[in-house]
Amino acid sequence: MTHPYSEAQLDAYLDGELAPADARELEAHIAQCPECARFRDRRLALRAAIKSQIPAFATPDVLRQRVRALLRPGSRLKVGAVWRSMVIAASLAAVAFGGWQLGFQRGVGETLADAVLTSHVRALMPGHLTDVQSSDQHTVKPWFNGKLDYSPPVYDFAGRGYPLLGGRLEYIGGRTVAALVYGRRQHVINVLLWPRGRGAARAATQTRQGYHVLHWATPDYTYWIVSDLGLAELQEFQKLLQQADSAATPHPY
Amino acid sequence: MERERFEAIVLPHLDGAYTLARYLTRNDADAQDIVQDASLRALKYFAGFRGATALEARAWFLAIVRNTAYTWRQRQRGAALVTEFNEDLHSDDVTAHDPAAAVDLHRALAELPLEFREVIVLRELEGLSYQEISEVTAVPVGTVMSRLFRARKRLQEALI
Repeated sequence: MTHPYSEAQLDAYLDGELAPADARELEAHIAQCPECARFRDRRLALRAAIKSQIPAFATPDVLRQRVRALLRPGSRLKVGAVWRSMVIAASLAAVAFGGWQLGFQRGVGETLADAVLTSHVRALMPGHLTDVQSSDQHTVKPWFNGKLDYSPPVYDFAGRGYPLLGGRLEYIGGRTVAALVYGRRQHVINVLLWPRGRGAARAATQTRQGYHVLHWATPDYTYWIVSDLGLAELQEFQKLLQQADSAATPHPY
Repeated sequence: MERERFEAIVLPHLDGAYTLARYLTRNDADAQDIVQDASLRALKYFAGFRGATALEARAWFLAIVRNTAYTWRQRQRGAALVTEFNEDLHSDDVTAHDPAAAVDLHRALAELPLEFREVIVLRELEGLSYQEISEVTAVPVGTVMSRLFRARKRLQEALI
């Protein structure tokens, strides 16, 4: 069989970088070319291996503080060694002081973050992403009726480049919760939410195994979102959700 | 105020900057120095940056981080920017489904020449588009495509 596309173009296709017309033609070719299908499968396996084995890193706190210090008004935009060691000492002291207090809370948060991440990875396996597949929020929202003891707010951000793909049920932290699935190019964003319990919820951003996990709470709901999307875009999506939420449920605070 | 704008649209990319520097230098201490140095440069040149959003600032900032890392490396090692081709990685007798596969993949990535390693990090870990990678690495989109292809080919050989 002759191949109308190079392997580099196959890569570009898998990266979502091919023009739609080319992508359709290439898809049709792969469907009947075992050789190209094998190439695609190996590339998907490589992508999965990179995802699970090659981590993205979080900025060390010391570095973050050093960079923030550059921004302080009046900072001389010049960092000396003595000053640098003072920042390190100060941040170590902060850890020593605050560490034991936050230990427990962080423990709970980490367990939930793990569960959220696990659910995301599991959802990416074939056939696990959605129980109800629809880009219509008025189909997805009622689907949860009778399956949950709450009716999760469902929005569609297709106009902003984050189309709703569907929803499913997840079991997190000892309860059944709603999972909403959004797309961004070839990336998947999982949104998990449940009614907010008592206690202060601490917003957080974490990076694990190449995935970003964002957490925050509204007056009504606890939110977790997870994706391999770049952090800036994921935060943009987070902002969309938060705006939609605050528009839908006006609260005095 | 400029510093507030910098904080809003550049600082969200600190993790990405550190990850890139970490993979380019392969160690924490140098990566930290590079990101700090790059942040300082970015702050100096920020007035000349025309973008308005965090998304636009990403490629701009990562390009500064990359250039800082390359300069640092040149200073460190004199010349050798390109890692030697490692014959061991490309032999055929690596057992399939080896539990040491993770180690192999790490090693394969670490041993990739810089220009291959950076496209993998920018694409697979940071999720940049080809256009953005082209801005960061200052090569045409077509070159980004072929480097990604060649980089993946080498990583793939480490997997199987």
